Amino acid sequence: MRSKDKSAEGVGRRSLFGLGAAVGVAGAAGSALFGARAAQAQLVDTSKSKLQQVLDRGHLIVGTGSTNPPWHFEDDTGKLVGMDIDMSRLLAKNLFDDPEKVEFVLQGSDARIPSLITDRVDIVVQWMTITPGRAQQVEFTVPYYREGVGLLMMADGGRFKKFDEVKAAGSDATIGAMQNVFIEDWVHQALPEARVDQFESPDATVQALNAGRVDAYLGDQSAIRWLMQQAPGRYVDGGYGWMPNSYASAVKPGDPVWLNWVNTVYREAMLGVDFPTFSASYKKWFGIDLATPKVGFPTEFS
Amino acid sequence: MLAYNFNWDVIWRQWPTIIEALLLGIGLAVASLAIGCIIGILCAFGRVSRHKWLDWAIWSYVEFIRNTPLLLLIFFVYFGLPQMGIRAFDKIESFILTLSLYAGAYMCEVFRAGLASIPNQYVEAAKAIGLRPWQRQLYVVLPVMFRITLPSISNTLISLFKDTSLAAAIAVPELTFTARQINANTFRVMEAWLTASALYLATSYAIAWVLRLVERRYSVIR
Repeated sequence: MRSKDKSAEGVGRRSLFGLGAAVGVAGAAGSALFGARAAQAQLVDTSKSKLQQVLDRGHLIVGTGSTNPPWHFEDDTGKLVGMDIDMSRLLAKNLFDDPEKVEFVLQGSDARIPSLITDRVDIVVQWMTITPGRAQQVEFTVPYYREGVGLLMMADGGRFKKFDEVKAAGSDATIGAMQNVFIEDWVHQALPEARVDQFESPDATVQALNAGRVDAYLGDQSAIRWLMQQAPGRYVDGGYGWMPNSYASAVKPGDPVWLNWVNTVYREAMLGVDFPTFSASYKKWFGIDLATPKVGFPTEFS
Repeated sequence: MLAYNFNWDVIWRQWPTIIEALLLGIGLAVASLAIGCIIGILCAFGRVSRHKWLDWAIWSYVEFIRNTPLLLLIFFVYFGLPQMGIRAFDKIESFILTLSLYAGAYMCEVFRAGLASIPNQYVEAAKAIGLRPWQRQLYVVLPVMFRITLPSISNTLISLFKDTSLAAAIAVPELTFTARQINANTFRVMEAWLTASALYLATSYAIAWVLRLVERRYSVIR
């Protein structure tokens, strides 16, 4: 969807150039001269792109966080790791042939848009959900994850193991969730009758699940996978996800060269030459083996 | 100047929920105080009885509770006990249990001090008129002790009422929980917490005022 929007914008820009050219023809006889100038302007544009700046600088500056596993967090040795970090390193690898040439600027979620606008970072790779409102302020890359909420339950000793069982239990089921905007509505969207117990933090909610205080933990799909990955055999996934949303990176608007380059890397990570790297990261953080995209056909048929 | 536009609508819309939450908090405090007083009396008598081991056991309980943060105790009862196989209490029961044990430790010390300050002549007089030991305790010692410790009991009730705010941590929908809920849903931080603060203040003051009337009627300390 995003790439279609982009091409539409591209057409818009080109037709503006066309209009400019028409005015040029009407205003002056030297239309050839104007065409040359337009072409030159585009060339200058390319060399002024963030892509060139980053290449000249010799390292990439990425805005991200450090407190949200499995996206961006510090491991036992204090090293910044996670899916977002892997995506950033993939960009560096394709820029400098060295995944270590990244400078991470750690920031809160509320700094994601301002840090791009003020040029503090080249790109934000920080579990950013695409929303039309945000897309008016920054430009989004192609999404690299589809987030949603799901239910985490105990593999042993719990009352339920599947989403359908929880749903069938109606008001007899208690769902634990972190206190957040309209969290009850989120639960009730899929489980209209379930009771909701709200806790201050995700870890308190998981403790409530461990203690059997709640029948299921409502969390982001990625968090559920991460928890299952952390304690193999302890939990099960209810098998149904809702509240879909897309995670993508964002760049400062108005730089099609840079955006297109990042998009190329992301798309080819998911479908092309970097698939082995991408699927290894996916396996590491979410515990899921991705099926190799079908070869012998264009993407649309894979 | 405070550059903030207040919008109290979010509070009025939730008013019934807020009042319900406040009443729940008062209920939790009163229930815990009642159970805590029973624990306290038993422990106080246990300590003044001359059984070394009983004295030691109660001393350990009191010191353990008094030197542990209440929130930690709440978490232990709510999260810990079920994982040790004890699943008897729901969230409200486990909170009342915790707060009662907490109140019990404090009341034990209060009552012990109360017992110690009962003039010896009272007990002598009770003996003189031929009361049996249990009658002496029930008709003479206990009433006098209660009247002596009344100001401390009111103090404890107010303090327990404010401690009920910690129940929010285990999803008990009392006042703090509700304020945080409004906060999360509407981002009306000032309105939510100002309302909660005002209600805590007003309720604590009201409790203090009612208890002062009771004290004026019954207390032996003037």
